[in-house]
Amino acid sequence: MNTSYVIVWVFAAILSIMVVRKKGYIGLKKSTFFAGNQALSISKKMPFALLTAAFIAQLVPIDELSQIVGPQSGFFGIIISALLGGLLPGGPMTSFPIALIFFAGGAGAPQIVAFLSGWSIFAVHRVLVFEAPTMGWSFVAIRLISCALLPILAGLIVHWLPVGDITVPPIFGL
Amino acid sequence: MKMSKSDYFFIFIASFTGFLCYLIHGLESLYLASNYALNLLILILPMLVGGLLIGGLVQQFIDQNKITKALGEKSGFSGLIFATLAGVITPGGPFTSFPIVFALYVAGADIGALVAYIAAWSLIGVYRLVIWEIPMMGLDLSILRFLVSIPLPLIAGIAARRLVQLIPLRDRESIKK
Repeated sequence: MNTSYVIVWVFAAILSIMVVRKKGYIGLKKSTFFAGNQALSISKKMPFALLTAAFIAQLVPIDELSQIVGPQSGFFGIIISALLGGLLPGGPMTSFPIALIFFAGGAGAPQIVAFLSGWSIFAVHRVLVFEAPTMGWSFVAIRLISCALLPILAGLIVHWLPVGDITVPPIFGL
Repeated sequence: MKMSKSDYFFIFIASFTGFLCYLIHGLESLYLASNYALNLLILILPMLVGGLLIGGLVQQFIDQNKITKALGEKSGFSGLIFATLAGVITPGGPFTSFPIVFALYVAGADIGALVAYIAAWSLIGVYRLVIWEIPMMGLDLSILRFLVSIPLPLIAGIAARRLVQLIPLRDRESIKK
């Protein structure tokens, strides 16, 4: 985990130098302003989002669900996971913690990939709040149909690949 | 501190699920959940701050005019690849990406490119991968999912170019007015 912290901050440092060279310190100032604005908006939501995820994890029988989509569940499990993921509302702050519990509960790697892809693509809340109002329903229809099979495809590719043991971070407290 | 509707929504949903938890599992479940949430927060925070900064920095390199030229009706397969790359590097949530999608559509980008862009942003966006997925799901699973999903936006873009002949879109000119 420490490696990924280092990578992010080295990358940020390199980009900062590039921005200063291209646009001067005003560019750097604009960048931090953008980041600060987003941080402010996220910081108000994040504690509650994480709490919600932790509460949902105790309310929904995720353990039992994850047994249904274990590594042996194959194609059937991939389809179920993609559908479950698609129905999961909320952004990354709530979805990843739930996915993690799902995986630790016994879901297989192909199934969890289908789950995360299903959530990424169908994201009910995003369609209702952002996509339909800006782009219109015919655009939404075309996009959803074009993308419908992608989560299943992603799951199947992982299923076919000779993937070894996958480790995930430990779950604290639950 | 200014609160938006969605801020209140998160507070409401947390209180509601927390109350249900208390009713069903008692007080101890609230303690367990808070402990879990706090640990995740500590895990994510250094990545989140770094990632947000990267998002702001990347914006300094984006040139709207060039992007529109590269994504137009006749952009072909290279347009799809370009849209995919643009989606991969777009920072932020739907509040940044959908305004971009709309602007690109009005400016003349074709549907295949837009669908590829959204698919790439949502499936293999580097920003979300770094800030959320790697800290929470671990490096192994995140990288595996990322690699497997690389060709998917192109498939979606090709499918959308076929589909648009069956489902007509809103007229660009009428949107401008």
